[in-house]
Amino acid sequence: MTTNVEPDTTADDAPIEIQLSAGAATPTHAVAAGQGAAAGPAQPELGPPIFQLRDLGVWYGKNEAVRGVSMDIPKNAITAIIGPSGCGKSTTLRCLNRMNDLVPGARVNGEILFGGEDLLSSDVDPVDLRGRIGMVFQKPSPFPKSIKDNIEFGMKVNGIKPTAERVEQALVDAALWDEVKDRLKDEAFSLSGGQQQRLCIARAIAVEPEVILMDEPCSALDPIATLAIEDLMKNIAERFTLVVVTHNMQQAARISDQVAFMTVEGKAEGERCGVLAEVGTAREIFSAPKDPRTEAYITGRVG
Amino acid sequence: MTTLEAPGTPPPPPAAATRPLARKRSRPSEQLFKWLVMGLTAITIAMLIWLISSVVIKGAGSLSWAFLADKPSSNPDKAGFNSALRGSVVLMIITIFFAWPIGVAAALYLEKFATQSAEASERKVRERLGSGVSGVHAGWLRVRLSWLRVRPRVVHLVDVNISNLAAVPSIIYGLLGLAIFVGILGISKSLLAGGLTLAVLILPIIIIAAREALRAVPISIEQGAMALGATRWQAVRSQVFPAALPGILTGTILAMSRAIGETAPLIVVGGIVFGTAVPSLNPLDAGNEALFAMPLQIYFWTDQPQASFQAIAAAGIIVLLATLLVMNLVAIILRNRYSKRW
Repeated sequence: MTTNVEPDTTADDAPIEIQLSAGAATPTHAVAAGQGAAAGPAQPELGPPIFQLRDLGVWYGKNEAVRGVSMDIPKNAITAIIGPSGCGKSTTLRCLNRMNDLVPGARVNGEILFGGEDLLSSDVDPVDLRGRIGMVFQKPSPFPKSIKDNIEFGMKVNGIKPTAERVEQALVDAALWDEVKDRLKDEAFSLSGGQQQRLCIARAIAVEPEVILMDEPCSALDPIATLAIEDLMKNIAERFTLVVVTHNMQQAARISDQVAFMTVEGKAEGERCGVLAEVGTAREIFSAPKDPRTEAYITGRVG
Repeated sequence: MTTLEAPGTPPPPPAAATRPLARKRSRPSEQLFKWLVMGLTAITIAMLIWLISSVVIKGAGSLSWAFLADKPSSNPDKAGFNSALRGSVVLMIITIFFAWPIGVAAALYLEKFATQSAEASERKVRERLGSGVSGVHAGWLRVRLSWLRVRPRVVHLVDVNISNLAAVPSIIYGLLGLAIFVGILGISKSLLAGGLTLAVLILPIIIIAAREALRAVPISIEQGAMALGATRWQAVRSQVFPAALPGILTGTILAMSRAIGETAPLIVVGGIVFGTAVPSLNPLDAGNEALFAMPLQIYFWTDQPQASFQAIAAAGIIVLLATLLVMNLVAIILRNRYSKRW
């Protein structure tokens, strides 16, 4: 276990600054924290966008779940999507790799440009897309097979030769190697919940995607396992773009470079629909939110 | 709230409850109900014990290796169970050979492919139609579009009817087998016709069991695989199906133990109740072999007036029951050993 885990401080500005400087390609962010503090208020700019969401809307049958989401998601950074439950965070996330295609009755409109191309276009192959944009779910969901098989499956379906080195590298990246190196043939279910979730992250990393989507990856885990995963997220953010849905605002403050705040808007006939209230750097959202709804949510939960 | 007290002072007395704790008392209606359900359970078990013990008492004396190895005869002292045993073995091989792949494939389609979202494919087909294709290609796209539209209703109809089929009396399957396999396909009244009829009989049972086993695998397994860039078929074949296999096999064995005891449909498709032939164990010869089976042989013997036939009928029942018991045991072991808790 790495030792550079920040203690769970109250969400003042300090951890946010740490994360902003950690985004600037320094793996040991404890050191970076000092530099960031010394550098003063200068904020590192977010990189160029890899995703550009344009007026994204999702319907499940006759229910509008998400409406009018427009935002950019920067490359090689961590974007957190926060908001109250039912605000469409996960729904929005699942659009990014077309997982909503698998939901009967789901309809997605608007545009999601990925590297400038609309990934929602009907001639885009969702199977190939999901090989490039991986996903980790809320509940750890390892395959009922060995640890090694779990890593190798994604490689095989993506035409990557599953060598021992690649398996090891994926597990090292997911900070799981030391714990499982002697038991790669063991059932994945013999691991603890936190280890299972790191295995799922390793499984996603092994496919060498460009983006990894995480849907509340820590909500089923205890605080120690959560910190291990946050640490690992920060370490891999230099290589992958991470988009993380979380209901934990302190987590968003600890890990993210950019934060999108979604909320629920009442519609006619008492129906409710998720909208994007505000998007900005983590510092902007947590210290100077522009939208009163963001401010109410953040002060209500954290302040 | 609490203050530190000087050592030696007695602790404060406990607060008074609203009333003292009630003592145990008897509840006659509770007792009565307990004895009632126990009694009813005992009746069931007693009937089972009576059935098994009467069969064993009657038949144990006739049970021997010679009984298993001899062919049928009109002389009860010489008559054996060999033809019936062979017939049942070949019947089961044929039944499983046809019913399992078809049943499992149907379950996979109904559970994993038929009910999936057609939204994306429908949009794609419509866009292609709009982009000015013509002739045969456009016609084919229109067929696909209409299929995607009616598919949910067709699947629902099939769904309801599979459950209904599982409840159809077995003699109806016998008539169906006679009409299709013997009448239309021209297969002779043989082990092959009997095995095919039993396959149709247990098909709905296998489909229902396999669907339940597939449904028991959490959707997160399939979605996890697809989120890695697997196609649905890859996800189902490599992850969902292996995870569901123990459940599918358990259901299959239970379906087979239903088939091995069936008598009525076999009589309809030409089951031999009396014959002295010995069918070959090779399932490829089944089309030319007379239709022998354990329950048919037992049925014939119990119909005979001589008491010694009753004894060998009982011996036959013991063999049939033992076979069933072994099959159910295998099913239970499979279920306990490989069933996963998610």
